[in-house]
Amino acid sequence: MNPRALIATGALVVDTFREAFARRIFWGFLGASTLLLALLSMVTTIQVGPATNDPAMMVRQTQGLIATLFYFAGMALAVFASSGLVSAMFEPGRIGLLLSKPISRTHLLLGRYLGNLLVVAVNILYLVGGAWLLFGLKMGVWNMGFLLSSLCTLFVFAVLLAVIVLVELVWESSAIATTTAFGLLFVSPILAQRAAIERMLGSELSRTVLKVLYFTLPRTSEISTITQQLIMGQPVVAWGPMVTTGLFGAAVLAAGVWEFRRKSF
Amino acid sequence: MSDCAIETSGLTKVYNGTLRAVDDVSLQVPAGSTFGLLGANGAGKTTFVKMLLSSCHPTAGSARLFGREAKDPESRRSVGYLPENHRFPTYLTGWEMLDFYGALSGLDGVARKRRIPEVLELVGLEERAYHLRLNQYSKGMLQRVGLAQALLHAPKLLILDEPSDGVDPVGRRQIRDVLQALEREGVTVFLNSHLLAEVELFCHDVAIIQKGRVALSGRVRDLTSGSGYKVEVSELPEALRTEVRSRAKGETTGAEGIQWMFATREDANAAVDLLRAGGCEIEGFSRSRSTLEDVFIRTVQSKSEATQ
Repeated sequence: MNPRALIATGALVVDTFREAFARRIFWGFLGASTLLLALLSMVTTIQVGPATNDPAMMVRQTQGLIATLFYFAGMALAVFASSGLVSAMFEPGRIGLLLSKPISRTHLLLGRYLGNLLVVAVNILYLVGGAWLLFGLKMGVWNMGFLLSSLCTLFVFAVLLAVIVLVELVWESSAIATTTAFGLLFVSPILAQRAAIERMLGSELSRTVLKVLYFTLPRTSEISTITQQLIMGQPVVAWGPMVTTGLFGAAVLAAGVWEFRRKSF
Repeated sequence: MSDCAIETSGLTKVYNGTLRAVDDVSLQVPAGSTFGLLGANGAGKTTFVKMLLSSCHPTAGSARLFGREAKDPESRRSVGYLPENHRFPTYLTGWEMLDFYGALSGLDGVARKRRIPEVLELVGLEERAYHLRLNQYSKGMLQRVGLAQALLHAPKLLILDEPSDGVDPVGRRQIRDVLQALEREGVTVFLNSHLLAEVELFCHDVAIIQKGRVALSGRVRDLTSGSGYKVEVSELPEALRTEVRSRAKGETTGAEGIQWMFATREDANAAVDLLRAGGCEIEGFSRSRSTLEDVFIRTVQSKSEATQ
């Protein structure tokens, strides 16, 4: 990447952070994380005692709980916060000036996407990293699986963010984008019960449709299971959900870039 | 490098398959010139500018900036732009806003730090406003900081959409001075404005766009120069007046005296000879001129009538 492109990318990322800082939801996000960490610091102090036979297991279980909470509640908050952050760039009067600068549309969109991703990454790092540090310092349990689980959370958010970007470009509505992202989160646990649902379906066509949906849409529910396996130190049985979800995200992001490139503002 | 800062060929934008916002516009703006694009609301001016900057894709035709295809991002490296209905990020201060757009224009940190105070001073923004958030700026201050943004990377082509919008008369004069200084430095200025007097004062060339098509274009001097001559006197005998009137194509009487319009220089000179022979004092002799507003109204009305 040439120096000018790097400068522009840096500016887009910094601008996204500045815009996030200007929004209350970012501070709410950070405040909630701080509160959780404060509570956690007390909980770990209380739990440490001779009654616990396996403190490492207890820590892993608590971390699993935090990760689950963060995976769903934090993800929902991140999706909600991000939808407005992306669409702000497409506002008339703002996008025209951005497009008049000597950077490609792909660069502009991906720079903003990266900025948004990093905003959420900072929040995840703050909460998960803080909790990891807290457990390590207080209980001497340095569970790397817990840190790795945050990457899974960020990965799923990256996929949902790609969906938000595409939907906002096509329908120019933050509400539809947010609903679509939540819809994908909601439908995933249902599709994860594919085997059970298949038995209830009569026709081959409906079974095929179910199979296509299962392998096409993000498998967030199963990725949640992977995060739990990482935290508990268990071997991850199948990385398939990560692969298909990643492919979905890449395809949606590519479609978003394509739509942004062809769109007239 | 091309001699033209802007060159369009058959540039067309059709919305929804039927609405021809810009219709087959071929325009050449020489490098170093000052060019005004005029038109009523909805005439297609903004769509034309958007296509130049590639924020709107043409349905047909092409646009080039300094010989490069407008869709090539590099073509915009030497372009400064101030949009009409801009919405600058209000969470930024004036300084931060310039820093952001300067970085997008490819300026490194050192260059930005050097240029930002220079351009802010140039557009007359008070120093206390540098670190105020943009949501605390007045409309005039936003225009100034917007202009500073367009000038930051020392562009060779400046595209300004209603630059004086919301700016007080002193500020307008200041902006015009800045633009005139840039013109002397060889910067091409493309002005999109409703303020015809402003365009007339600053631009050497104009195009009038009507219903997406170029209705008239040329040098302001040529378009506003009239075809007749004006002779003024304060008083004269009635018999002489009758004789001069018979040679003139029009006569007006006011508190200042009597004015005659003559179709040709020969007729005007013959009238002057006649008046001087009759012992009459000449108060004024000039070539009649139209204002750009007259030219604009005439053009727009004649095109409207032609299409009806």
